[in-house]
Order: sequence, then C-alpha cells, then structure tokens
Amino acid sequence: MKTLSKIFTALMFLFLYAPLLVMVFFSFNESKSTSVFTGFSLKWYSELLNSSDTITALKNTLILAVLSAVIATLLGTLAAVGIYNMRSKVWSSSIMSVTNIPMMNPDIVTGVSLMLLFVFVGRLIGAITSLNFFTLLIAHITFNLPYVILNVLPKLNQTDPHLAEAAQDLGCTPIKSFFKVVLPAIYSGILSGFLMAFTLSLDDFVISYYTTGADFQTLPLKIFSMTKKVVKPDMYALSSVIFITVLVLLLIINIGQIRTRKSN
Amino acid sequence: MKPSLLNRIINAPYILWSAIFIVIPLFIVVYYAFTDANGALTLHNIFELKEYKHTFLISIWYSVIATVITLIISYPFAYIMSRKSVNKQQMMMMLVMLPMWMNLLIRTYSWMNILEKTGIINTLLGYMGLSPLKLIGTPGAVILGMVYNYVPYMILPIYSVMSKIEPSLLEAAEDLGSNGFMKLKKVIFPLSLPGVVSGITMVFVPSVSTFYISQKLGGGKIMLIGDAIERQIQTSYNYNLGASLSLILMILILISMAIMNRFTSSEDGGIIV
Amino acid sequence: MKENNNIIELKNIVVEFDGERVLDNLSLAIKDKEFVTLLGPSGCGKTTTLRIIAGFIEPQAGDVLFLGDKINGVPPYKRSVNTIFQRYALFPHYNVFENIAFGLRVKKTPEAEVKKQVSEMLKLVNLEGFEKRNVSKLSGGQQQRVAIARAVINKPKVLLLDEPLAALDLKLRKDMQNELKNIQKKLGITFIFVTHDQEEALSMSDTIVVMNEGKIQQIGTPQDIYNEPKNAFVADFIGESNIIDGVMVKDFVVKLDGREFSCFDSGFEENEEVDVVIRPEDVDIVPPMQGMLEGEVTSLTFKGVHYEIIVDIEGFKWMIQTTDEHKVGETVGLYIEPDAIHIMKKSEYSGKYGDYSSYSDEIDMLNELEEDE
Repeated sequence: MKTLSKIFTALMFLFLYAPLLVMVFFSFNESKSTSVFTGFSLKWYSELLNSSDTITALKNTLILAVLSAVIATLLGTLAAVGIYNMRSKVWSSSIMSVTNIPMMNPDIVTGVSLMLLFVFVGRLIGAITSLNFFTLLIAHITFNLPYVILNVLPKLNQTDPHLAEAAQDLGCTPIKSFFKVVLPAIYSGILSGFLMAFTLSLDDFVISYYTTGADFQTLPLKIFSMTKKVVKPDMYALSSVIFITVLVLLLIINIGQIRTRKSN
Repeated sequence: MKPSLLNRIINAPYILWSAIFIVIPLFIVVYYAFTDANGALTLHNIFELKEYKHTFLISIWYSVIATVITLIISYPFAYIMSRKSVNKQQMMMMLVMLPMWMNLLIRTYSWMNILEKTGIINTLLGYMGLSPLKLIGTPGAVILGMVYNYVPYMILPIYSVMSKIEPSLLEAAEDLGSNGFMKLKKVIFPLSLPGVVSGITMVFVPSVSTFYISQKLGGGKIMLIGDAIERQIQTSYNYNLGASLSLILMILILISMAIMNRFTSSEDGGIIV
Repeated sequence: MKENNNIIELKNIVVEFDGERVLDNLSLAIKDKEFVTLLGPSGCGKTTTLRIIAGFIEPQAGDVLFLGDKINGVPPYKRSVNTIFQRYALFPHYNVFENIAFGLRVKKTPEAEVKKQVSEMLKLVNLEGFEKRNVSKLSGGQQQRVAIARAVINKPKVLLLDEPLAALDLKLRKDMQNELKNIQKKLGITFIFVTHDQEEALSMSDTIVVMNEGKIQQIGTPQDIYNEPKNAFVADFIGESNIIDGVMVKDFVVKLDGREFSCFDSGFEENEEVDVVIRPEDVDIVPPMQGMLEGEVTSLTFKGVHYEIIVDIEGFKWMIQTTDEHKVGETVGLYIEPDAIHIMKKSEYSGKYGDYSSYSDEIDMLNELEEDE
C-alpha cells in the first residue's frame, strides 16, 4: 500500500510538471524546434530582450496589473469595510452574492458580457471603437475585486469590534480611528488581496481577449497570437521568465503568511 | 457625520461598480441574445441554437468525462496528502498549485508539443522502433487537456476538507471496530463530500466553457461551446448569436450548480484560490 | 439644574433593536464621584445603558444629560467619558506606552508632557518598567491595568467599565476589585460599572442599579438592595432567598403557612397579599417542638463554611444555611426572628422565584437524562 501510494504520488507530479519541464527544456534549444533538442543555447532569451514587441507587451502587462490591482484594492477594501458595517443582513448577503458572480461565472461569459456592455455603450455615444485600454482596465478591476474583498473581509471579522470604538472613545473621529487602528489590523489581508489581484491580472488571458482594443496588447494576448502560428522557443523563453516571476511573487506571499502566523 | 451616512458613502462606490460592471452586463447579454444587429427584437438567435445541439452535447459529455477522471485521480491523491506531516502537506500543496500559475495557453501548447505527430511521445516511440500513435486531434487529447489544467481545482477543496477531519474521529471509528474500507465509507467519504461537490463544480465550469484547449489539442476538428462563442464574437462579429450562446452557457452552469448544491447544504469547501 | 450634583442623567430612554425593546423608558440619575454599578442578568440592558452614556448608541427616545446639558447626538470622541471595554480592546500594533499615550497623541500633546503623564499613569496602575512591552504578551491582569491607564490618562469625568473583570480568574478578580476601588478614590471621579456578578456589585459599589428586561428594578446602596429588596426578582438575584406567599394581617403582623409572625414592616392594607422574603442565613434550626414552623430535611450539601439544607414545609421547600449537620429525613423546627422577615408588595415577578423545590430535583432529572442517552 505504501509503495503504491508513493508511485501514484510520483506519477501525479510527473503529470503536473511534464509540460512545464518541456517548456523550460526547449527554451534552451538551439534550433527552432520545440520537440527535437539540438543543443543548449540562450539565444531565445537574448532575442526576447531585443524584441521591442515583447518589451512593450511586458510593459503593458505590468502597467495594467499594477493599476488594476491598486484600484481594486482601494475599492475592494472600502467595500469590505462597508459590507462589514452593514446592519441589514439582506443587503450584505445580496451584495456578497453579486460579488461572487465573477468568480462563479466562466471567464468567457464575464469577458463577453463586459465586451457587450462596452460595445453597447460605445454605440450609444457613437464611438468608432468601443474597446481600448480603459475597457481592459475596468474588466481587470472587476474580476480582481472579489478576491480583494474575500481577503479583507475575514480579517475584519477577526478584528475585535471594540478596537475602533476604543479609538473613538479616546478622541478619534470614525475616519481617523479607521486609519489609526482598523487599518493596521487588516493590513495583511489587504496586502495579500493586492498581490492576488496583481498576479491574476498578470496571468489573465480570456477576459482580456474580449475586452481589449487593438492598440493594447498584454503578454498573455501576445502569447495567444504567437501560438496561432508555428511556435518558436522564444515563446517558451518568455513563459519561463513569467513563470519564475510568478514563482517569486508566490514565495513572497507565502513567506509573508508564515510570518504573520508566527507573530500571532 | 452620522455613522450611517458615512457607511452609505463607503458603500456607494462598490455598489455602483458592481451594478454597472457585474449585474448590467448580464442583462446586456440577454438584450443581445433577443435582438438582431439593428437592435430589433427577434427570436432568430434562439432558434439558431439548434444548429449547436451537437456542440452543446459534446461539450457537456467531454466535461463530464474530464470531471469524473479528475475526481478519480484527485480523491486518493488528496487523501494521501492529508495523511502526511504538516510540513510535507504544505510543500505538496505548493507543488500542486504552482503549475496553475503558469499561463493556461502555454501549458496547453506544451501538451501539444508532447502529443503531436512529430511530438515528444512519438519521437520517443520512434527511438524504440515503434510506429507513431495518433494522439493529437482526438477527443482523448481534449479531455486530457481539461483534466490537466483543472486537476488542482479538484485536489485542493477535497484536500482542505480532508485535512480538517480530526484524527481522533478516525481513531474512534477504529475503536468502534471499523476496518480500513469501513472507515473510508462511513467516516472519510461523508465528511469529505462538501469538498468533492465544490471540486466537481470548479472543474466542470471551466471545462465546459473552454475554447483554447479544444482548439489546440482537438486539432481544429473539435468544436465546443467556448469555441462557438469565440468564433461568433471574434471572427464573425455576430454578437447577437454569441450572446445567445453565452446565455445558454450561463443557464447550463446555473443548472449544474443548483444540482451540485443539492448534495450539500454546508458552506464548507468553498472556493479556494 | 446644575446644583443637584448629578453628573449624568438619563430621562425616559427607549432603545429598540430590530423591533425588540432593549431599554424601556429608563430614567436614571448618577451623582458625581460615585461608584455606581449596573447589575443584572445578560440581556437586561445594562451594557446598552453604558453604551448610550459613551455615545456608541443613540436612543430612539429620551434625553441624555451630562452636567445638566443635553448630549444626545454628541459623538463619542467629543464626550468627556472614557470606557474600559470587556476584552480591553488594546491596540495590538502598539506597545504599552503607545497604548496609554493614544488619547494624548490624538490631542497632539507635546512629547515631554506625554512622557510625564504616561509615567504617572504607569505608576498609578503599578506597571512601571512595562513601557516597551507588547500588549498581546501581557497577562490578563496586566492588560486590564493598561486599559485603565489608557482610559484615565484623558482625565475623564466619568469612567465606564463594561464587565472589566469577567475575563480574569477568581483570585485576580478579588485583587482587581480592591484596586479599582482604590483608583476611583484616588482619582475622585465617577465610575459606572457593569456586571452580572452580584458579589462584585455588593462589595464595590456606593450605589447599585438592579436591572431586568430593560427596566430598573431597584436603585440603592448595597445594604438596601440586600436587606430591603423591592420585589421577588431583586430578592432572588441578590443572594439566596426564600420567597413565600403571605398575608399582611395588620401593621407588624404577617401570616404565612397558617401562622402569624411579627415583623418590622408596616404601611400595607389590611389582609393585603404580599411576598415574604427570608434569607437562608437568617433562619435558625431548633428541635421540632420549639420551632415556629416544622418540616422535613430533603437534602443536605456541604459548602465549606456552612451546610445548605432544603426543608420541606407543607410542600414549599426552604433553603436554610446552618453550621450544624442534619440528616435527610430528619424533622426539624424553624425559628425566625422578626427582623429576619422582609415584606414586599406583589409584583410581576411574584411566584417566579424563591422556591427551592426544583433546586435539587432538576439536577437529578438532568442526571437521569444523561444516563438514558
């Protein structure tokens, strides 16, 4: 039984990691092929650095991820505080159900529904093109929001409700008491919400595919257009770089979580 | 400032945002589904859906098979994981999550490299002197792509429920005379059911709505609902038909969620990111 | 109005949560420099009353006066009262010094002044040398002291304490009771203290306000409340009581269990039905024939200082505390001095409290139920 479960576990991990190994392996291939290895080379990585297209897409991706994560974090934290303070159960639970929609809905439906909204409004105001950077940004903020709210809300619930009252009792206005006392207590939730929003935005393809305009391309969109043709290892090199970046981000989140757990 | 007024000011931006960008878009989908390109009311898009009967059926069929396979391999894996030491559990969890953070497009494309006619498997078979297999472009390849991409969504909820089962419960079951199989049937399985249910939902929903996996691993011959929607929106620019297909997809998902919710009324398992 | 020495007055306060009335037309005046305790079972409205004074709850009707001025609608941060919260609500991201300095910092007090005042406060609560400590690493008693220092550094006119000792163990609680009392005397300010613990209330307060179901049942000194309870609820909530139906034959004579007793109460109508309170420690046990009443011992419990025995007298079970041991089944006589008898008017609580017939049976029944399972 023991050996059986060991073999099974090993096979599962082989299955999970096979495509990633293939990707990293062939990113170092000397030739153009992504299935026959001819020799080690870093030329696809250096080509990546010299491709202005890729650099632009990378820049776009980062701008979008930072902006959407920052706005979603601000709006989402505000929303979490609002939902937490809501007296009416009916209101707060219906808002939470709406919040869950983008997480439950398939990405393609979220993407298409937002795109149709933008096209509809674009037609109403007579715009020539309805999709652009701002529609993409709105879409990213929209799918990031639930993740921020679901990271901040539990932190608020864990916080002693008398903390804010104590600060007010000692002379703070409600707003000042939020910044001096509540914010430090929920800070870790806000941070992990932000990082999650950032990584999700970095990684998103499906929703971006439907809501961006022709003038703004992100890395996942670029990868998509690259895979429509025959793929060269440069795409694998690019993916390996993204993968390592995400890996580092995840490690930061995890270490942060372990630290807060220890300090508690 | 009165606290209730302050609270209203705090709530307003998000309520407004979610109304405009979550709720209204769903109504816009309905609007497009029941109008033509000029905005006139029509049932044409709905009638046209019968052309897609086959597409819907194979989408559901492939997704069901993928979900079942995912469950079969995830359940023992989650169980093995939950019996390990805490540190090992954390490490395995991390290893399961990691591939999810690689872009789905790349992961899928990488499978294409492994499975294609001149791909890695067939190259290896060639070295061994065996004749190449036709792997790509088969329903099997599409289902493999689904299983691969969404298997962590099944492992994680089942694992998180299982890891919460107290060891004393299992000891109690043993104490009361349960053998290995009885323990599984009478204690572990009922307690892990909420995780199974949310795992099924979390695998079925993205499987049934995928479009990239089927395009790459189906060799362009297999069309699922996602592909149909993509084609209408991005190639034919027939937003109305695209909307009616999306609407049906949404209804399909609502129905499957309602079915799954019948199996469990608890809020455990939940959504794990 | 200011000459009447009332620091806080509540007038006809009504509070409802989700249609449920929590405070029902409550009026209360609190004198300056007093130690006042709001005492009652959970859900009686005592904490709500405290939160109204602090400004966290606005009453639906009624006025809150502070030194004669109406303060309805004044937010908590503008009121010269401070609160000690039930679980202290210390700020986890600040150390002891910064927690205590919080109120001064909000007021932008100069640094030198902050240092001086905080060290005075640390001295007051015996926490010198704890400045840099993390508050979450302190013991319950130490956290309690930080909470006190953090509140009183703002020199409030009134300190509100919401069950501040509930989280401490018994021994520590006794020490903190004395210390709180000393701090109140030293500062010379009004303390309004909320508790459900009647012993705590009796030993600490100048005035006790007994509350139940959103209404004040009785206001008085601890002695008044204990010796002259106004109704069956108060008599039962404060200490143990036997509450027997009686008839006031005339002034100074009450009839119960068919016998007339002399007592010190007067002012009732002739033959008015009343509740008669007799405390368990005020009954003497004598040989059967020498007693005024006679009954059979049905249970006996050793309590350390004394025995607690239940005596059945014509179906009504009395609780009696005695230092002598008596056997179950023994017939004993009861002797009651006139000053041990306290007469109360009938109230909505009559007949609900003060009979010990279910006292031991209930526990037996619970045990049987458990065994059945």
